[in-house]
Amino acid sequence: MNAALAFVKQPLVVALALIVVLLLLGEALSPGFASSQQILRLLIVAALLGIVAAGQNLVILGGREGIDLSVGGVVSLSAIIAGNLMNGTDAGIPLAILACVATGALFGLANGVGVTLLRIPPLVMTLGMLGVLQGLLVVVRQGIPSGRAAPGLSQFVSQPFLFGLPGIIWLWILIGLFMAFLLRRTVFGHRIYAIGSNEQAAWMAGVPVRRMRISLFVLSGVFAAIAGICLLGYSGSSFANVGEQYMLPSIIAVVFGGTPLAGGKGGYTGTMAGAVLLIILQSILTTVNIDESGRQMVFGATLLVLMLFYGRGQAMRA
Amino acid sequence: MPRLKLSGVTKAYGATLALRRGDLAVEAGEVHVLIGSNGSGKSTLCKIAAGSVKPDSGEVLVDGKPVVVSGPRGARAAGIGIFYQELSLAARRSVAENICLSDLPLKGGAFVDRDALEDRAARYIGLFSEVSGADFEADAPVDTLRADQRQLVEIMKTLGSEAPILIFDEPTSALDRAQVERFFEILRDLKAEGRAMVFISHRMDEIFAIGDRVTVMRDGETVGTRNISDTSPDEIVGMMVGARETLAAPTTTQPLQAASGDVALSVRGLTGPGFTNIGFDVAAGEIVGFGGLHGQGQSSVLRAIFGAAPRTEGTVSLKGTAVTAATPREAIRRGFAYVSGDRGRDGVISGRPIFENVMPIHYLRDRLIFARPSALRGKAEKALQALHTRFAGLSHSLNSLSGGNQQKVVIARWLIDRPEVLLLDDPTKGIDLSAKADLFALIRTLAEEGMGIVLYSSEDAELLANADRILVFNGGRVTRELKGEERTRFNLYHAAYEAAE
Amino acid sequence: MTELSVPARRRGGLKRIFERFPFLPALIILLVLFALNGIYQPRSVGFVGITGLAKTYLALMLLAVAQTYVVYAGDIDLSAGAIVSLVNVVIVVLMGQWGGDALPVLGAILAGLAVGLACGVLNGIVVAALRLQAIVATFATSIFFTGLALYVLPVAGAPAPALFWRTYGGRLLEIPFVFYVVAVLAVILYLLARTRLATQLLAVGDDAQAAYQSGLPVTAIRIKGYAMCGLFAALAAFCITGDTASGDPLVGGEMTLLSVAAVVLGGSALSGGFGTVVGSVFGALIIGLINSLVYFVGTPSEWQNLVQGLAILVALMAGIMVGRRARR
Repeated sequence: MNAALAFVKQPLVVALALIVVLLLLGEALSPGFASSQQILRLLIVAALLGIVAAGQNLVILGGREGIDLSVGGVVSLSAIIAGNLMNGTDAGIPLAILACVATGALFGLANGVGVTLLRIPPLVMTLGMLGVLQGLLVVVRQGIPSGRAAPGLSQFVSQPFLFGLPGIIWLWILIGLFMAFLLRRTVFGHRIYAIGSNEQAAWMAGVPVRRMRISLFVLSGVFAAIAGICLLGYSGSSFANVGEQYMLPSIIAVVFGGTPLAGGKGGYTGTMAGAVLLIILQSILTTVNIDESGRQMVFGATLLVLMLFYGRGQAMRA
Repeated sequence: MPRLKLSGVTKAYGATLALRRGDLAVEAGEVHVLIGSNGSGKSTLCKIAAGSVKPDSGEVLVDGKPVVVSGPRGARAAGIGIFYQELSLAARRSVAENICLSDLPLKGGAFVDRDALEDRAARYIGLFSEVSGADFEADAPVDTLRADQRQLVEIMKTLGSEAPILIFDEPTSALDRAQVERFFEILRDLKAEGRAMVFISHRMDEIFAIGDRVTVMRDGETVGTRNISDTSPDEIVGMMVGARETLAAPTTTQPLQAASGDVALSVRGLTGPGFTNIGFDVAAGEIVGFGGLHGQGQSSVLRAIFGAAPRTEGTVSLKGTAVTAATPREAIRRGFAYVSGDRGRDGVISGRPIFENVMPIHYLRDRLIFARPSALRGKAEKALQALHTRFAGLSHSLNSLSGGNQQKVVIARWLIDRPEVLLLDDPTKGIDLSAKADLFALIRTLAEEGMGIVLYSSEDAELLANADRILVFNGGRVTRELKGEERTRFNLYHAAYEAAE
Repeated sequence: MTELSVPARRRGGLKRIFERFPFLPALIILLVLFALNGIYQPRSVGFVGITGLAKTYLALMLLAVAQTYVVYAGDIDLSAGAIVSLVNVVIVVLMGQWGGDALPVLGAILAGLAVGLACGVLNGIVVAALRLQAIVATFATSIFFTGLALYVLPVAGAPAPALFWRTYGGRLLEIPFVFYVVAVLAVILYLLARTRLATQLLAVGDDAQAAYQSGLPVTAIRIKGYAMCGLFAALAAFCITGDTASGDPLVGGEMTLLSVAAVVLGGSALSGGFGTVVGSVFGALIIGLINSLVYFVGTPSEWQNLVQGLAILVALMAGIMVGRRARR
């Protein structure tokens, strides 16, 4: 009995259950909501969020108040760069991917260096970096048009690729497998948990703490860049600050997935479910016919209610 | 009627039963010692009385009447004040603010009355004025103070509660002899006033100096209560351990370990914050002990050798080759191993499986990239068995183990790959007697196999029983070396207090 | 902090000065920026220039103060900007309905304070009593408050009565109104720093468990911290209303993160237990002066945001490093 209860309380299970409930609710409120076509579209958007959340997940797992507020900026910048390098031709895809990943890695490196070598708190460092990115976006947008996605990319993202699922879903699944393997079966993964759980003890055991943490921020930048490219493929062309809306939801997806903001615990599968959950929630609110104010109030209140089931802090009197 | 009585108290944290059955009765005007090995439940019992832990069942009675202690404020209302072992101070706030924190004096309804604050704090600061040190000021932020001074502030804070029932959970661990003496004087005054006091300690000499009665706990249960005057250290230890085991009597004629003559570790002129000009050799197969009062540089030296603490001068040579390890990572690669006495801070990767806690050194030494449990399981289990570690499975969380077993896991991580030199920095602090015995048996075996070992212990008996030579530290220097028959408790104490101001 | 093993710090002369005045590094940076501004645009440090600076950045200064009280206790409020928006639209709508005379304006102000207080208390309950994690929980409440603001005023642009913005932008006895506000603010902050709540907030932020064990009502204290934040956010909203003379349900959006930056620039520790509201005020002014300096130096308009962002990032890093050295 106890084992069953423990299983049910796991964040992943709760998230999946809620997803099912919300799908049913959505179908009831607006028939056709849970049609396979719709669900597919939801999954694509969830994949975009999920990819950003993968990087965020790693940064948060690493502990020491790890967080990356600059992901939105990297997504936007990556979308613009990709759009320009591709400019509507498939030939531009390899260069675009290379350039975007390098850019994301670079900003991640800057974040990581600031956090580890200068010991700036991640909240502050990535916040400052976000400001820089937003300024950079203004500059970039003046000089060049927003560019267009290559047809191959758009196809990959939106059209069925294998077994009826678009390529981006497969990419997401691949990322999920990669993360699971990384976190459970590699020394790197075990070290992430070590520095997230007790950095001092990890250091005393010879874990290269600084290098690890810088890598986590670099990975976050890389994942955000990949998401930016995919986002371009989804929307066709990019516009300013298209990535802004991914920042805080990526954090919430990680929390709903069972990773506490303090790090050291949790995994990516829960985050994937968390991302899907968030997207479905947002989608329900868009389908239902209430105006923007009502939508936001319900969304905010629902988030609060959901948070009651995840990662509540320890009571003072244990 | 006892002033404070705890009866049938139980507490479980998830699957771990911290308190199976806690009973305690404290009379007015007595110092009641509470003793037990780690994991015996004594801290938990006291925290329940003080309100910061919620019991699962049982009663707390003050003056015969049951009270429901709903939190620390409820405990204060019931007349119970507590000294927390881990301290309960706000680092950036001043000494005076910390002393009066629970009850800051008000002026005009919302403002802090600074004058009243200073006056009230001065009363308690004055009690320790001769032993607190020259730089101890009422407006100093607590994090500018030394460890012993911080402990004094916590004592002052507890006294400041003016509670009729006082609980002290290891209040003397960082204090020097003069400070302990003064503290005991105050306790005797409080006894005369009729206060009821609980005193938790691991030190036999203190227990017999200040205690009136002693209650022994073991494995979450109260085992028995005795009058101090009617009992002996051996009997108390017997109750703690549950069998007729006694402390290993320090032997003065232990034959010197057959050191092979090869020098495993050589230190010359090592200087840094807290230690000056330290030099010594450790032969392969030798156990060199660090002695002296707590905090005289022993720990800093070990950490400096391991690359975990700074040093400004000096050389360290491992098997003849000079080594400068600037980080633990380098030191480990060269062949050093270091076990800390503060496992919570330096050792335990809490919340993670036992497997992840045993493997980190091996990952580093073997430069592994992939962590395949199937391949590594055997090594992990072997290392854990060497210390008789009790665990359910490698994938279980480390937190499911008792303190002593957790420390065993942390130590086991160094055993998978043989180090050249093993540095032990008070490794048995806070672990129970049987775990200690297992550990020292292993250490002796390792020495016999040719490892060079440095052992710092804050317990004289351990040093005397296990070290081939003892270097006594005083004020950051090695003031004496005790060899062979010189290794007596008397010599140890004498050297430790020599030339102390 | 409760560890015995943490080493002691030494208290030399310079350290003591920083101990007593933790906002000194921020003040120094502020004066340097002020001087630089004066070099590139002498009029900016003249009477009119300073008045303009105060009028524009008073809201951020107040929001930085608001954020500081929460940060004292080790929490954070990412809904601060949303509270500003909400109070802004509430008072504009009320004044529109009740009229633009002195009495309705005062009534609206009181209502605004009440709304700010209520939002703060809600945040406090959610974070401290329900124990949801502050970053995500206040993000959720910010969405909720924004929704409320949109409900009260779906479209930006409702005007504020003349009495309101004329007073804000005008003068009393030849001295600009905003200077009076700054003076009163200084007095209020001085008094607040001496309250028991301030010490308790800092103790909780230092080590909440230790504060609890010391018998402090930790949850109540943290809720009060959020309440203070809500109140000062309301004051910030009044300034915005006076400055823009209109209501906008999204006006506070960017201010939240800027308020956090201001707190950090001012030398307060985001982890709690240490800091000053004066420092945060300076931090807000630093942001303002950086923005204006970038403009005065002649940066091309499309590069201004980037240079400002870089400058603020550098200032944040400098602020943290100097603050850390001062505490060493």
